[in-house]
Amino acid sequence: MNTSFVWWAIAIYTMVALIIAFLARSGKQTSMNSYFLGDRKLNGFVSALSYSATTYSAFMLVGLAGLTYNGGIGALGFELIYLMGVSLVAFFGPRFWKVGKKFGYVTPSEMLGDRYSNKTVAIIVSLSSCIFLIPYSAVQLSGVGYLLQGVTNNAIPFTTGVIIATVLAILFSYIAGIRSVAWTDSLQALFMIITSTIVVIILINGLGGFNGFFNTLQTEQPEKLSVPGNGFWSFINFLGMTIPWFFFSLSNPQVSQRLYMPASLKSLRSMLIGFMVFGLVYTIVAVIWGFSASIMFPNLDNADLATPLVLQSDLIPPILGVIVMVGIMAAAISTIDSILLTLSSLFARDVYGNFNKKATDRMQLHVGKIVIPIIAILSYLFALMEVNLIAVLSVASSAGLLVVVPAIIGTFFWRRGTAAGVITSVVVSGLFVIIIEFTQTEPLGLSSGLWGILLSTFLFITVSLLTKAPKKVPKEFFS
Amino acid sequence: MKANEGKWALAILFIIILAYVLPYTIFTNVAKWYGSFLLWIVLALIVFIINYFLTKDWGKEE
Repeated sequence: MNTSFVWWAIAIYTMVALIIAFLARSGKQTSMNSYFLGDRKLNGFVSALSYSATTYSAFMLVGLAGLTYNGGIGALGFELIYLMGVSLVAFFGPRFWKVGKKFGYVTPSEMLGDRYSNKTVAIIVSLSSCIFLIPYSAVQLSGVGYLLQGVTNNAIPFTTGVIIATVLAILFSYIAGIRSVAWTDSLQALFMIITSTIVVIILINGLGGFNGFFNTLQTEQPEKLSVPGNGFWSFINFLGMTIPWFFFSLSNPQVSQRLYMPASLKSLRSMLIGFMVFGLVYTIVAVIWGFSASIMFPNLDNADLATPLVLQSDLIPPILGVIVMVGIMAAAISTIDSILLTLSSLFARDVYGNFNKKATDRMQLHVGKIVIPIIAILSYLFALMEVNLIAVLSVASSAGLLVVVPAIIGTFFWRRGTAAGVITSVVVSGLFVIIIEFTQTEPLGLSSGLWGILLSTFLFITVSLLTKAPKKVPKEFFS
Repeated sequence: MKANEGKWALAILFIIILAYVLPYTIFTNVAKWYGSFLLWIVLALIVFIINYFLTKDWGKEE
């Protein structure tokens, strides 16, 4: 790819996004509620697009396309089962939203601490989110580094790409908190979906139209159209990958915190339905993208190369290739800035706020703003270290965050749940997941995600039954 | 949980179980676009429709 094109595209994208971020500044953002939740006044359209941009990182057009390239159609089932799992929002969304509004919760962990009448719960849940989400952000950052390096044949070095992504993520989250994040997210989500859909339409046309495209696959690589196919998507592997992602909308605080933000239940509904439509289109686009790579470049050693090669192929006009590349970069940044904001709110509210009892809301906000660049720099350093630890923790992140799911379900559906149950299930299962990932073992052939959810459910229930449930739980949690 | 909510939840759960079972049984030898590819998309659409109706009254009780 022409390096000057790439620089121009990045410059234009940065300018437009910064203008939008500045325009998003409105009102005084002097409280936690305002800075991190947009005063709980986000409309449905922005909520839906921002939720989409935050959920869908660079993973879709690189990772999911790569999974399709490697193992075939199972990738579609994997991603769509996740999307069906977002139905959890239909059950938990209004509950989060109502208690959030009633009691002024800023973070999901604050809600858990209150529900289980124990501040340690809030501290532990928020710290475990940091442990798993910082490496996840680091992988997104290094994704941008590799992408720019790959498409420009090293003209833009890895470190430069990582620095660009880090700086932009800090700016988008810093300028106006969640407002600038939500509006730049919306821009980026629209940009991602429109450009990648155009590319896929061009690819299908260039590869013989819908019938020709699937005929080629059916005759040349029939194993790509069914599961287990070439064996990559064995049932146990499929289960191990889908279960952690199924609960993503509850387990990941950067998306569950979104349940507090819509202005009304109607906006929350628009967020849910809008996201599902977006997700379905984007998933089909990413899977067809992966299939196109299978047809055009059937013998790659490294599936991660599939997307850069498709972008540079003769079928795609060079300008469009550059635009989509920026779209992938935007997808990564829109995920990182939301994570930055969520983690800084967790730290300010649940760690600092609980250790310093005298901390006012304003002081918490001040700490939150200081923490944003610190977390960004930590992620940046992680991204540069390229040690095994990052890869391990980021793979472990979906499994590691999963261990809080039983406690979240118990928050609204099980009165007998106790703080001791939450703490034991999160700490023990979290450590167990990390050990499994570090030692690369699969006890009884089950993946870390399955272990995470099974062990945390067992511990949460058993320890809760052995300990005393909090006497006073506000009735709003169970209405 | 309201009774209605429970019924919707069971309906969604049923569709999701189909999304695990059918591709690995009936459709495992159908290497066509109208095999697992279409099946998963249709099942996802059914879940969306359920969500649409499940959330229909949101905001009306506020």
